Amino acid sequence: MDKVNWGLIAPLLALQILLAVVGLISLARTEQVRGPKWMWVLLLVFGNLLGSIAYFTLGRKEL
Amino acid sequence: MPLLEVTNLRKSFGGHPSVDGISFGAEAGRCVALLGPNGAGKTTTLRMLAGLLPPTGGSISFGGDPPGTDYRRQLGYLPQSPAFYSWMSGLEYMIFAAKLSGMAAKEAASVSGAVLERVGLSSAARRRIGGYSGGMKQRLGLAQALVHRPRLLLLDEPVSALDPIGRREVMELLRDIREETTVIFSTHVLHDAEEICDDVILMNRGAIAVQGTLARLRAEYSLPVIRITTAKEDKAVRWLEELRHKAFMEEASISDGRAVFNVSDVGLARRMILQEAAGLDIPLLQFEAGSSTLEDLFMKVVGT
Amino acid sequence: MSKLWTLYYREMLEAVRSYKLIWIPVVFIILGIMQPLVTFYMADILAASSNVPAGFMDSYEMPGAAAVMAQALGQYGTIGILILVLGTMNSLAGERSSGTAELLMARPVSPVSIVVAKWAANFTVLIIALVLGVAGAAYYTVQLMGGLAWGAVAAASGLYALWLLCAVSLTLLFSAWLRGPAAAGFALLLAAGMSLAHSLLPSRTAWLPAALPGMSASVLAEGRVTGGPMISAALLIVACIAGASLLVRRNKLPN
Repeated sequence: MDKVNWGLIAPLLALQILLAVVGLISLARTEQVRGPKWMWVLLLVFGNLLGSIAYFTLGRKEL
Repeated sequence: MPLLEVTNLRKSFGGHPSVDGISFGAEAGRCVALLGPNGAGKTTTLRMLAGLLPPTGGSISFGGDPPGTDYRRQLGYLPQSPAFYSWMSGLEYMIFAAKLSGMAAKEAASVSGAVLERVGLSSAARRRIGGYSGGMKQRLGLAQALVHRPRLLLLDEPVSALDPIGRREVMELLRDIREETTVIFSTHVLHDAEEICDDVILMNRGAIAVQGTLARLRAEYSLPVIRITTAKEDKAVRWLEELRHKAFMEEASISDGRAVFNVSDVGLARRMILQEAAGLDIPLLQFEAGSSTLEDLFMKVVGT
Repeated sequence: MSKLWTLYYREMLEAVRSYKLIWIPVVFIILGIMQPLVTFYMADILAASSNVPAGFMDSYEMPGAAAVMAQALGQYGTIGILILVLGTMNSLAGERSSGTAELLMARPVSPVSIVVAKWAANFTVLIIALVLGVAGAAYYTVQLMGGLAWGAVAAASGLYALWLLCAVSLTLLFSAWLRGPAAAGFALLLAAGMSLAHSLLPSRTAWLPAALPGMSASVLAEGRVTGGPMISAALLIVACIAGASLLVRRNKLPN
């Protein structure tokens, strides 16, 4: 148990990064967001899974 | 037989009548203006005609079919402020609209491109609608109403939200479109109706105040009035004052080189005034005989 | 039929352009693989934080593969359901509030086909997300804990999908009537209420759709399946679609 199997954890990190990147692309393309854009950038980059979910469900005014 | 026959159409919201028993017909190929101030019931009427609102009473018959038959396939509708899916491109929306009105995929694609070209949107066809200006959206709205070649086009205030250039563009399009299909459009601007329509239905407070062909209404609502504007020269002003004493004159108001004469005989008055003006070399700027009072009628209806 | 396809195609196009078809499946995969990973490394995680009582570690026992799989599905019953409901809430409400419904309803399309197209699109997103999520969870579970009975995993996922679909269908129904956030609230409240009723009185409410998550877990533990919840879930879904269609027919316009 001492050795952490990075082969198993890496995909999880990759998916988290993918989610944040998709969120950032969407944020760059949409004009209308609730609240300031920089706040969503911070949430997407540092907010982990919940930050991304919050952006996709609540952040955008349309779509 | 009229293409559209509306009989005693009524709609009330919470007991308050918005449209109160109106009847009219629209002959195929005509352009009908639904004219009236805001709140006259024009939008409610058009929405009922488009099948978006169930009438409280009365009937609508299309193409001689019994009332209640679904004629939306033959219908093009443009609401007052059309809303589109902002993430779609103009072309995608047109194809979507054409398919929903029963067109096959291939036909929908080719017709959509052609109609967008016609309304001057072909260069923006592949751009997101979210980036369109107000005038472009209105033209897209017109295009989606036309794409399936409807027999009846319902347009709710198609030009009122546009700037003068956009308004000009859409009016030119309408002038074109009215040659090929039946159009009913609402407006609160008399001038728009006079510009392109054959028939006028003047509505106020949910009822029809006056209706008929524009030509008939013009003849009926014209007063024996002569309007003259001259250059502001002493000679001209003196001449206008002298006109007060003519036999045909009933009432005159003159100010600043502008005169409005109520006369007993328009034909006689016109002949005499023009002869005198020519003989005396009066610097006439404007001359108008037998002016229409549609504007006055409209203002009277609007004002009450 | 071709109009239904046109409407469905539009819905799916929107799901792609709004990134819904990417982000919801990705979140489901993350939720799915996080469960076995966290369970597997629980001992290390606890050891890393210093304030764990000394004897605690000895009593920790690694759960079996089937139990971990059931826990992973359980994630979809909380965060998953929330995401799906929030993703569905504006389906009909958004068309009304933005005004796009007016142009849509002036075309010769039936309210039923509009509702069915939206339902089918949300169903598609749900299935894609759940299949990928379960595949991820199962793969990690097999790697870390040991073998799984694939038939049982498929059956358990199917039962869970039905429960999630009930929540999505309820959201669609309320979305035909209320504004988006209110629709989501009511749907979640109703789903939670059903679950609560089922947990308080399991024997009397065994026929409720809310019994599906429990049944899903018991299938993994080689338990029995009864038809009641599946039938009531199917009825609920059909009723939601019918009700939404009636509401769309009545409220064609926002005012």
